Amino acid sequence: MKKSIIYLFILAVLAGCSDDILDVQPQDRVSEEAVWGDENLIRAYHTSLYNGVLHGFKIHMLSKATDEAFNAINFDIGIIPTGALRADNVTSLSDTHWTGGGGLYYWNTGYQYIRRINIFLEKMADPTIVVSEKEKLVAEAKFLRAYIHFLLLERFGGVPIVTESYELGADQSFSRNSIDECFEFIETELNEAIPDLEKRYAASDANFGRATQDAAQALLSRALLYAASPLFNESGDQGKWQRAADAAEVLLNAGYSLHEDYTTLFNQPTGTANNEMIFVRPFSSSPGGFHSAPMDNLNRRYGAYGGWWASNGPSQNLVDDYDMINGEPVFIYPNGVKTINPASGYDPQNPYVNRDPRFDATVIYDGATYRGDKFEMWVAPDGESWGFDSYRQSGDNPRSNYVLRKFMPDEGTPLSWQQPYTNPWIIFRLGEIYLNYAEAKFELGDEETCREYLSKIRARVNMPPIPSTVTGEELRQRLYNERRIELAFEEHRYWDVRRWKIAETVENQPIFGMDIIRNPSTGEKTYSRIQLLSRIFEEKMYWLPIEQNEILRNQGIQQNPGYE
Amino acid sequence: MKESLYSKGYRSIKKQLYHVRNYLAVFLVFVGGLQGYAQTQISGVVKEENGDFLPGVNILEKGTLNGAISDIDGSYSITVGESAVLIFSFIGYGSKEIVVGNQSEINVELSPDMTSLSEVIVVGYGEQRKETLTGSVANVSGDDLVKSPAANVTSSLAGRLPGLTVNQRSGEPGRDDPNILIRGSGTFGNNSPLIIIDGVPRSQIGRLNPEDIESISVLKDASAAIYGARAANGVILVTTKAGQKGKPVFNFTINQSFLQPTKILDMLDASEFAQVYNEGAWYRAGRPETNWTPPFSQEAIQRYADGSDPVRYPNTDWVKEAVKPYSTQQRINLSARGGSDDVNYFLSFGTVSQNGNLVNDPTEYRQYNMRVNVNVNLTENLTVGANLSALLNNQNFGSVATDEESWVNFKNIYQANPTLIAQYPNGLYGPGRLGENPLLMDQRGYFNRESSPMFSSFTASYQVPFLEGLKIDASYNYDINNQVQRRWRTPYFFHEFNTVTEEYERRQGTGVSAPELSQTNTKWTTKLYNIRLNYSRTIDKHYFAALLGTEQQENYENWVHAFRRNFVSSAIDQIDAGSSDTNDMNTGGSTRISGYNNYFGRLNYDYDGKYLLEFLFRYDGSQKFPKESRYGFFPGVSAGWRLSEEPFMADLDFVNQLKIRGSYGKIGNDFVAAYQHLQAFTFGNNYYFGGNVSPGVNPGVLPNRNITWETSEKVDIGLEGVLWQGGLGFEFVVFNEQRSDILARRNVSVSNVYGYPGLPDENIGRVRNRGFELILNRKRSLGEFNYNIAGNVAFARSEIQFMDEVPNDIADKNLTGRPVGAGLYYQADGIFNTQEELDSYPHISNAQVGDVRIVDRNNDGQINGDDQFRFNYTATPEYVFGLNFDLAYKNFDLNLFFQGQTNVYNYDERYPDLGTAAFDNATVERATDRWTVDNPNGTKPRADGVEPGANTMWLFDATFVRLKNVEFGYSLPDHLISRIGFSDARFYVSGSNVLTWSKEIKWADPEASGGFLYYPQLRTMNVGLNVKF
Repeated sequence: MKKSIIYLFILAVLAGCSDDILDVQPQDRVSEEAVWGDENLIRAYHTSLYNGVLHGFKIHMLSKATDEAFNAINFDIGIIPTGALRADNVTSLSDTHWTGGGGLYYWNTGYQYIRRINIFLEKMADPTIVVSEKEKLVAEAKFLRAYIHFLLLERFGGVPIVTESYELGADQSFSRNSIDECFEFIETELNEAIPDLEKRYAASDANFGRATQDAAQALLSRALLYAASPLFNESGDQGKWQRAADAAEVLLNAGYSLHEDYTTLFNQPTGTANNEMIFVRPFSSSPGGFHSAPMDNLNRRYGAYGGWWASNGPSQNLVDDYDMINGEPVFIYPNGVKTINPASGYDPQNPYVNRDPRFDATVIYDGATYRGDKFEMWVAPDGESWGFDSYRQSGDNPRSNYVLRKFMPDEGTPLSWQQPYTNPWIIFRLGEIYLNYAEAKFELGDEETCREYLSKIRARVNMPPIPSTVTGEELRQRLYNERRIELAFEEHRYWDVRRWKIAETVENQPIFGMDIIRNPSTGEKTYSRIQLLSRIFEEKMYWLPIEQNEILRNQGIQQNPGYE
Repeated sequence: MKESLYSKGYRSIKKQLYHVRNYLAVFLVFVGGLQGYAQTQISGVVKEENGDFLPGVNILEKGTLNGAISDIDGSYSITVGESAVLIFSFIGYGSKEIVVGNQSEINVELSPDMTSLSEVIVVGYGEQRKETLTGSVANVSGDDLVKSPAANVTSSLAGRLPGLTVNQRSGEPGRDDPNILIRGSGTFGNNSPLIIIDGVPRSQIGRLNPEDIESISVLKDASAAIYGARAANGVILVTTKAGQKGKPVFNFTINQSFLQPTKILDMLDASEFAQVYNEGAWYRAGRPETNWTPPFSQEAIQRYADGSDPVRYPNTDWVKEAVKPYSTQQRINLSARGGSDDVNYFLSFGTVSQNGNLVNDPTEYRQYNMRVNVNVNLTENLTVGANLSALLNNQNFGSVATDEESWVNFKNIYQANPTLIAQYPNGLYGPGRLGENPLLMDQRGYFNRESSPMFSSFTASYQVPFLEGLKIDASYNYDINNQVQRRWRTPYFFHEFNTVTEEYERRQGTGVSAPELSQTNTKWTTKLYNIRLNYSRTIDKHYFAALLGTEQQENYENWVHAFRRNFVSSAIDQIDAGSSDTNDMNTGGSTRISGYNNYFGRLNYDYDGKYLLEFLFRYDGSQKFPKESRYGFFPGVSAGWRLSEEPFMADLDFVNQLKIRGSYGKIGNDFVAAYQHLQAFTFGNNYYFGGNVSPGVNPGVLPNRNITWETSEKVDIGLEGVLWQGGLGFEFVVFNEQRSDILARRNVSVSNVYGYPGLPDENIGRVRNRGFELILNRKRSLGEFNYNIAGNVAFARSEIQFMDEVPNDIADKNLTGRPVGAGLYYQADGIFNTQEELDSYPHISNAQVGDVRIVDRNNDGQINGDDQFRFNYTATPEYVFGLNFDLAYKNFDLNLFFQGQTNVYNYDERYPDLGTAAFDNATVERATDRWTVDNPNGTKPRADGVEPGANTMWLFDATFVRLKNVEFGYSLPDHLISRIGFSDARFYVSGSNVLTWSKEIKWADPEASGGFLYYPQLRTMNVGLNVKF
């Protein structure tokens, strides 16, 4: 009896063996079939395509690669100001690097999103897949494909245009399309998309951030402006300026207006009403949906990181370029020598008074008040005391003695690493369109319209208009400077100095900061410029290199000159 | 502050002793009553057949751990219980069992017997005698492991098991699991060996109670094939102690240890730091001759040096401030082992507690181990057993760093700027580096992980009565582990001196502004059952054995994550107390299920113990792969020839044992992500139109429909022997392993323009791995002096034969032909000492005088990626060695264990940092003899130096020899302890990582991998007491 029970038991155990346990469906993911068979999942797929849109609120903002900031580091994005950029280290500028790399090396991410978009467009071409507002979704995807190609184009010059998805194991030989072909592709894509896009979503609309007709038009304006610029327009085709002007003109009277306040334009949460923004990257206070730009960029006073390694402190070079409130530039350059403009009334020993109001809205300086706190960047001559915001207090107080103010929240919004900041990253706004228009018109010889639109921009902050006596090269300098000032830290400077082909001059200038010595007994301060960084810009740096290994695996893709 | 530390330590010892008392009390009540035997003293002499005295003979009271050893004149004495049986054994001699009866003097003669060399070794699903073993199996007994006072058992394995490379990369209590490799790296995929504890793949080997371990075996060659698809990286088999027939033996051990880092880095002081930082700033600014204000004035540097103003000009030695002079660790164990004819048992209880080495830091580790192992003979033929163990373990860390980030703590110590104050003279704490003063860690909450795995095995063994030699074994194993991981972060405050107001301003730290809690609960279960038919039979001189079995395993994992922030107060650290605003909370969770199904077997044949043959196999199925390629067949064959058994060897008296053996096997490796054959999407990659969440989905890696096992073919040839009755034992093994179909991604050859979301593993790689192992030992007795010396050296070198490479790249950069893990470096050739040198040699565009001179290997006049080359050595040593001395004299015993490694290099990416960032301090070693304008002949690069990338300047030879363990013990004489009822009482002092001789890395512990920012390895000094009764 006993025995038979045991045998029975053994049999039972043996019978239990089967390989059913190997047929396990994954519990933590969705199958491909499910995605394309469910409208909500199709929309979710479509939504995720928008993450191909970069934003600038990364640890390394692109400003660190320009003369807007004193970047003290010699690694990661520091390889640009120090001229160490090579094909074998460019991936340290990758947008997927933990520092965000200023979003510069976007090659890999860009093509990944292009593939996702191509798959989406290929699936949507299947008439059996039914989704409401399919045309609009398709048009948005096309806008994104055009935008991503534009991001690649401004970085690398002509890039391979990819409009189909490839399976694993595909053996495609890619080669670079010409710059003109890329612009043409972008233009065609946008023109195809525009009819099916929504005209516009208000900044307070739940759909704000989606591609619209106006966003497509703004992209067209920027792309055509770039296309006409010297870097991209080697033949100097004047017709390109006309097309740039035309593209911008469409938006001049499209219902947008300059936001009245240059500070709150940048630091209000996503969803706040605003009539200047055309296309933004929105943020949300839900987990994973926000950024930490204030804590990344403010200084030690608030426990912030000064731009990490204190490397996003605005430079003296930028500060010098803010006009006086009387409309006069502080410096003029007779025979190329930087000289104080006597007409400006600038006092080198009291340098921060009577400046363009955008200075206060962009830069925190010694003596400035932000959120009720008076900033102090001075050091006493005997070294026994120093201002709380001076570099002597902490390495996170930028050595240039300036702290970024733009995008930073006003009183009422707590400053901490836990606070979800949701002010959107502005990609296109009317201010830029005015400047695009002014520039195109200038290049077409219509200086009056140029001055008119520059003056409109200046009028918002009550700066005097550009007088009609300013013409020719002088006006060009004012135009360039207006763009530098108005769009500071908005990821324009890097591209502008390149497309104007002035980087060899501008980006070879050393970066300066301001030393402020304060006599504790008299309270008297002396200001002296201090050279902080010698910069190197070589001609090849007008374009980014393509990663060395990418060239090796694509024999058809040419490296940009100087990086071979 | 020091005083408080000591008194804290004292309190915790007292507390510990109090606990000990409680445990003892419970245990004694539990097992009381079982005691009470009469004791008799026996003495006598042991001789050889020819009349020579035999010293060093083991005399053991059968069924107990009570024993003695014969002296130089063969005499011995032992106290035994009633109706005892004595076993006399000596290596190379037949053992004898003698019933004591009422004798008080027993003289014994032993005769040489080769079969008594027999040592039983645990192999896959069974045990084999060492002398007829045909595979490469290293083995260590639990007795050797308890000699190390280290809290983590795996770290005690270093050097003990030839062929096993153990590198401990962190000493942090609770996070100190070392990396283990068997015979180096055979694949560039996952190289982890399969760890089987009592028959089941189980985790937390490092957390076993060393006193519970009977033995650890390592299957290195084809013998691992019986574990099939998971065994290509070798198998570690841990067997825990079982009961033993005889009266109960209680074993009580208490250890008190003191721990300190093996090596503390010597960092720059404030004035040196200021000097170096000035240099860096000056170089960055373009070395201006005029109009230059250094960040630190000469007066400031002077004031840092003279210490005249500790508030404005402090000189902080962060290491001294933040690292305790020593920390403590206690281990207490109590076990009972015994049994009758029908039931035997092993019961054990152990506890470990260890506190961290940092001041004001919540790091603490606590562990409780419990084990019950019972076997019962239910009927004449049927034995059932249960082996249940539980591990309660509680790891507590500072809230700042997760497991992966634990280096952060050391960034804030080692690299903290010495010009920042740690604690003001008035006692207030300063902000420290970026407000992350390590002395504030105890204010910032905690990161706690509590897990309570329970491991259970139920076994049955049935001797089939009608067929001699047939046995059926079955086991059912159920493991369950629940883990609760909580990261509780609270706001903290420091003070900052304001030089203007001269006030100490209280400021909130950079962490959270209101408390937040992140909790993850995870549950794992493993169900494994198997059934095995065993048959063995000896017919004349033919011995047959066969094993056939089937096994199924099912794993389940489920986790749930909850997060809330903005707690109103830090009084309650529970999720419910957090803010209920939806933006302040987050949840997550998922499930993973996996399974294995397989059949395995083994056939053994030997003729007269001379010619040995073995075949084993496993037919293995894994759910990770598509249905078509799910099953694999993994065979192994091995053979041996015991020359010593041949008649022609009979005249060579000194040869006791000599064997040649060889094996070949094909084994699999499936340590890759599951479901790579499916295209799947995960939720995530959301977007935020209008400030609201719009959900997204993310494509996973592209599918590889053909994915299957990685295979390893192993060939192994060995020669082993015992000469002069143990005067020399040796084993020499050479092996060659060929890995193919290695699962790897074509990440580097596939153009990014395709835009694939991620590439799947494909069976593409090939690696060859070769090496040898040599083991020598000598065991002798000289009168009352016994010694045993054992040394081993193992060499393994891998060579990549095929790997996804960047196409068209220069040959020097290829992985092919290099060892697994070989890094890409620029070749450094000193520094540019002069402007002329700089001008006359190619350099990167921002290089200055004082920078590393990089060799232009391809002579193209520029320094770029094409000048890199693949280095031939890695951070995994090629040679590892161990040398063990056991010495005993009368009641004293001494164990010395040395361990080391060579052919190993470490790239220290932190080491070059000097004078670049205002908050990254550097080592004195780095700053010494750096290039400066005043030291143009310096050998090390300037401050704020630039380099194109990783270069050999910072690649250091990590060869070292360590006195890994030392133990010195004294056993109280029998006549003293027998009076108080003990059978054995031994005091000892021991240490681990006691001394280290490092070839090149003298500023840090040479066992590091990567930069120096990590929790350093610890030196343990220990006093202990072991009592048996």
